[in-house]
Amino acid sequence: MAILGQLLVGLSRAMILFIVAAGLSLVLGVLRVPNVFHGSLYMIGAFVAWTVAEAMGGSPARLWVALAAAPIVTAAVGLAVERTLLCRLYHREHLMLILFTFGVMLVLNDLVKLSWGPTYRSLVPPEGLQGAVSVLGVALPRYNLVLLGAGPLVAGGLWLLVHRTRIGKIARAAATDREMVAVLGIDVGRVFAVAFGVGCFLAGLGGALVAPTTSITLGMDHTLLIESFLIVIIGGLGNLWGALVGSLLFGVAHSVGLLIWPQFAIAFPYAITAGVLLVRPQGLLRSVW
Amino acid sequence: MDNLLLAEGLYKAFGGFPALRGATLEVQETEVVAVIGPNGAGKTTLFHLITGVLQPDRGRVTFQGREITRWPAYRRCALGIGRTFQIANVFPRLRVFDNVQVAVLSRHRKTFHLALPASRFAMRETWAILEHVGLADKAHHPAGALSHGDQRILEIAIALASRPKLLVLDEPTAGMSPEETAATLRLLSRLNREEGLTVLFCEHDMEVVFAAAHRIVVMHHGRTVVQGSPEEVRRHPEVQAAYLGSADA
Amino acid sequence: MVNGTRLGVGVLLAALFGAPAFLPPFYVYLIALILVTGLLATSLNLVLGFGGLYQFHHAVFYGIGAYTLAIGITKLHWPAWVAFLAGPAAAALAGLLIGLVCVRLERLYFGMLQLSLGSFVWIVALRWYPVTGGDNGLHGIPLPAGLKPLGGAYLFILTTVVASLLVLWAVVRSPFGLTLQAIRDNPQRCQVVGIQVRAHQLAAMVLAALFAGVAGVLYVTLERSVFPNMLSWVLSLEILVMCLLGGWFTFPGPLLGAALVVTLRTFAGRYTEYWTLILGVLLILLIFFLPEGILGTLRARHAQKAPEPAPQPAPAGDVHG
Repeated sequence: MAILGQLLVGLSRAMILFIVAAGLSLVLGVLRVPNVFHGSLYMIGAFVAWTVAEAMGGSPARLWVALAAAPIVTAAVGLAVERTLLCRLYHREHLMLILFTFGVMLVLNDLVKLSWGPTYRSLVPPEGLQGAVSVLGVALPRYNLVLLGAGPLVAGGLWLLVHRTRIGKIARAAATDREMVAVLGIDVGRVFAVAFGVGCFLAGLGGALVAPTTSITLGMDHTLLIESFLIVIIGGLGNLWGALVGSLLFGVAHSVGLLIWPQFAIAFPYAITAGVLLVRPQGLLRSVW
Repeated sequence: MDNLLLAEGLYKAFGGFPALRGATLEVQETEVVAVIGPNGAGKTTLFHLITGVLQPDRGRVTFQGREITRWPAYRRCALGIGRTFQIANVFPRLRVFDNVQVAVLSRHRKTFHLALPASRFAMRETWAILEHVGLADKAHHPAGALSHGDQRILEIAIALASRPKLLVLDEPTAGMSPEETAATLRLLSRLNREEGLTVLFCEHDMEVVFAAAHRIVVMHHGRTVVQGSPEEVRRHPEVQAAYLGSADA
Repeated sequence: MVNGTRLGVGVLLAALFGAPAFLPPFYVYLIALILVTGLLATSLNLVLGFGGLYQFHHAVFYGIGAYTLAIGITKLHWPAWVAFLAGPAAAALAGLLIGLVCVRLERLYFGMLQLSLGSFVWIVALRWYPVTGGDNGLHGIPLPAGLKPLGGAYLFILTTVVASLLVLWAVVRSPFGLTLQAIRDNPQRCQVVGIQVRAHQLAAMVLAALFAGVAGVLYVTLERSVFPNMLSWVLSLEILVMCLLGGWFTFPGPLLGAALVVTLRTFAGRYTEYWTLILGVLLILLIFFLPEGILGTLRARHAQKAPEPAPQPAPAGDVHG
């Protein structure tokens, strides 16, 4: 039973990982850039959610407002960076684009330190979501139900965006064959901007969602960024469903690790990654969604 | 004369679409053979199968009597099949000299030497190749700064460094000025005359083809339809009707 | 020109060896730190600038070298010379292991996985308290008496760095170095002329890790302590910025970059705790305004102004004849 409970906790964590990794994967697929400040946006999302919730005091709606506000802020930050600076680098050497996101990460992380300081914060969920519920005889924090619901919602939303909208279809085509899209006379820049904005939105959403379950602090970006990298590598670069499969594998491996060897639980997802790469150097799913 | 290269009954499909359906090609030693045909006739695919970039679904490739159908590209290179690409494919940040020297070093299996400077190795041979193709005076320019035509010549020089018996060129004069084209043709025919190098190339420019080739192979819809001397091919009614009439576009 | 460079290097070397005689200890310390960091950045540049590999977490090998020396002496009680050799050896071994996993992958994968694996090593250093001292690190590591701080230690660091740089310079100029640069420019073309691309990349990674390990050992010689930040990602980014700033397609670029960044960090550290902000802004500015770095830009200017360089006369008895 302890294992089942641990798995459910692991699954809720996997949902957050999926939301963040899906954003990373989207940007990676369309722009071919692993956005290194993705983790910073996740952290900013958590801090913004905390600030909004604090400002609203005891209002029962504070969590929902925070969940809505944080991703909008991070999408705005990401888009501002993309439209003012990153878009001027698309014609440059690929390494320069990646290094640019390194630079933005360093800047954003210190800006977070400037704005919120180095102290730990925590966001208490509203009354209705405190405590635990019993699922199959296992006590599961009530808030985790929100997380377990959010994952499929985001997955469905992304599916609709990618398969049912014009811009989504173009983004998919751009991920497959950028030249072709340019030849068709489509404004590739706009597609990039939208993909980037959605990616950053998801980073912020992940940060806001995680806020009530953890202490919000500087440095929370690094762990998550590395975890998202591993997930994307497991699933296949730029593959949305790969991100889902990767997150689930990662979450399960991490939970198992916590049971067996808590101090180095992180080693287990690494082992999974190494195993996957030995068998399939391209990741589990093909690199196109 | 010996049969240097023989490709028989090559089939290759990409995702259900057949690019080659029964292409057959024969190249004698010291010949200059041109492959022509409209876009999509399968010329580049045929060359990929010969040089080992791709492998055929059916058919076989033999080189000097040895079957190499499934060999990887680098082994065919060692055996004596050199190639150039449709787009300029050089080492842009390296000097022209280094571009060629690397390939020479690779043939001598010296690329893992760590202790002595590269300037102690393969200098003569590299200079000889550069002299031969006429790039010696630009030896110290970065390859990326060369004109398009010179980059294509440099590509030929890199290929020559592997001492190929057969040089396979994918549209060697594409994008060149008339002067550059003429210089490239002179180079190829000189290599053929003086060194006995066998040349197989495909080309859009009919003037180039008829000026340089000993023998011409016409491809259409993935098949090799006509083979013969330039005169025979020029007079062939099927070629005139199906191809030459629209080729100047 | 060449003689001018040689003269300059000679004067610089003489000044460096004489530095303890006329500079206050703080500046001698700063120079030693620049030398160590410069070697680290140069070793990174072997795979980054010359090899074209996305080695985003190079500091890991620096940390492994340093930790191996520190643990070898304090916990395993190895003789000093064994520990000093074991540091670089362990770093090279780590380079081999990480390289074996990463080199098979596409470039983007390589960068992401190298970064992830590096972070794993960092986590281990951070959490394996009994061995690594956790987030405190290990301090007051006893070293042989000859390596007293800033006397013997400085000369040892200077000599080792100079010797290492000579080796790296030879590697860059060797057939191997040339092949590595060709692979950087166009791996597909290399394969077609028969070069085994991955084997060369792996060898370069091992060499780079080895010299990062040497730098790590020298850092311990200077500071007598190790701490997890030595293998933090921020340090990896710092040395990346050094390569970029100095000129990542030049050999001395990373050294110049290290001198500038280490000096900036040392003095900026007195006024602000927002060093990474400065570093990030510096990186972004470099990408937009100086992508070839200081030396790369100077070299390009020089090449533009100078008349066409005459082709080197071929060796006697050559085809020119």
